[in-house]
Amino acid sequence: MHWNTKIINPQDLINIARGDHKIIYKYLIQFQELIPQRIDSLKENLKVEDRKGIRQLLHQMSPQIQFFGIMDLVKPIRQLELDYETMPIEELNTLVETVIIKLNLAINDVNSVIKENF
Amino acid sequence: MNFDKIRCLIIDDDPFILELLQDKLDQYFPDIIVLSTASSGKEGLQKIKELNPELLFLDVEMADMTGFEMLSQLSDINFQTIFITSYSHYAIKAIRFNALDYLLKPIDLGELKKAIKRFKTQTNTRPQQENLSLALKNMANKNVSNHMLILKTQDGDLRLALKDIIHIEGDRNYSYIYLKNGTKKLVTKTLIELEELLDSKGFYRCHKSHILNAEHITTYTNGNLVQLSETISIPVSRRKKKPFIKWFQSYQDSN
Repeated sequence: MHWNTKIINPQDLINIARGDHKIIYKYLIQFQELIPQRIDSLKENLKVEDRKGIRQLLHQMSPQIQFFGIMDLVKPIRQLELDYETMPIEELNTLVETVIIKLNLAINDVNSVIKENF
Repeated sequence: MNFDKIRCLIIDDDPFILELLQDKLDQYFPDIIVLSTASSGKEGLQKIKELNPELLFLDVEMADMTGFEMLSQLSDINFQTIFITSYSHYAIKAIRFNALDYLLKPIDLGELKKAIKRFKTQTNTRPQQENLSLALKNMANKNVSNHMLILKTQDGDLRLALKDIIHIEGDRNYSYIYLKNGTKKLVTKTLIELEELLDSKGFYRCHKSHILNAEHITTYTNGNLVQLSETISIPVSRRKKKPFIKWFQSYQDSN
C-alpha cells in the first residue's frame, strides 16, 4: 500500500489490520465520514461560542485522532479539553481553527490514500 | 453457541471505539465473543437484559447518559465492567477512587491484555460488583465524608469510610493509613497517588510525608504542628504553611 501522507501516521492502523486491506479501508472510510461531520459541528459551536459543545466534540474525536497518529493535534486538543471553560475566547477561537485546519489536512491524506489504494 | 467463550458486550457512543475494540477483541482474544455492541445507554440497557453478558466494556460518557447512570438503572449487576474513558475525563478520579477497572481511549493492546487477564483471574466476581455498587452509592451521596475509599491490597480490597481516616503517612512506595479506631493499614500506594484521590475530599498534604483529614483537626495555632486528636500531631512543612492556612480557612468556611 502507498502511504504518501503528510499529517497522519498510519502505524496503528497497519497494526490493527495485520495485512487485511478491508480493515484499513473500513477505518479510512469511517474517518472520511465522521471527521467532516464533526468539523461542521465544531464550526457551529464556535460561532455560538458553545464551549461545552466544543469540548464534547473534541473529546469524541480525540481517540480517532490519536489512532491516526495526528500528533500535532494531541497537545492543542488536550489544552482545549482541560481549559475550555476559562480560556479567553480569542485563544479558544485560534486553537479550534488550528485544529480544523489540521483535520482538513488529515482528511486530504485519507482521501489520497483511498484514491491511490482502493 | 460458544459456551466456553467469555460473553461480552461493548457500549460506547463513538462508532470508532466500537469498531476498534471489537477488532482488537476478535483478533487477539479468541476466547472472547462480542455478543453485540450498543451505541447509547438506552440501547445498552436493553442489550444487557436481552443478552446477559459476563463482561461489559462501558463508555463513561455517552450522549444520553453516563455509564454510571446506566448501571444505576439496573436492579441486578451480575457481570463485570471495564470502563472506557479518555485520559482527561473527570470520571477517572471516581473510577480510581473506587478501584474499578478501566481502559483509556484509544484502546492500547497491552492494557487490554492486562484488563482481560485481571478479569480471568477474578474467580470471585463479588468484590468487583461490590466496588461498583459502592461507587454508585458514593456518587449518589453528597456527603463526601461518608464516601468509601477502595484500595487494592494483597489481602483483597480494603474499603474505608473517609470519615474514619485521620491521616496518612507515606513511606516510599507504601503508605500507612491511620484510622479513628487506633489501627493503621499499610497500602501499596504512594502518597502522591493518595493525594490525587483525596485532595478534593477534605484531605490536604501538609508535608512531604503526611496527608491529613480536615475533619479530624482539633487544634492549629499557626505553628509547625497540627493536632489531629489528643495523641496525634503531625508536622506542617514550612513551604506548605501559608497554603495550608488558606486551605483550612476555606474548609472551615464551607463547613
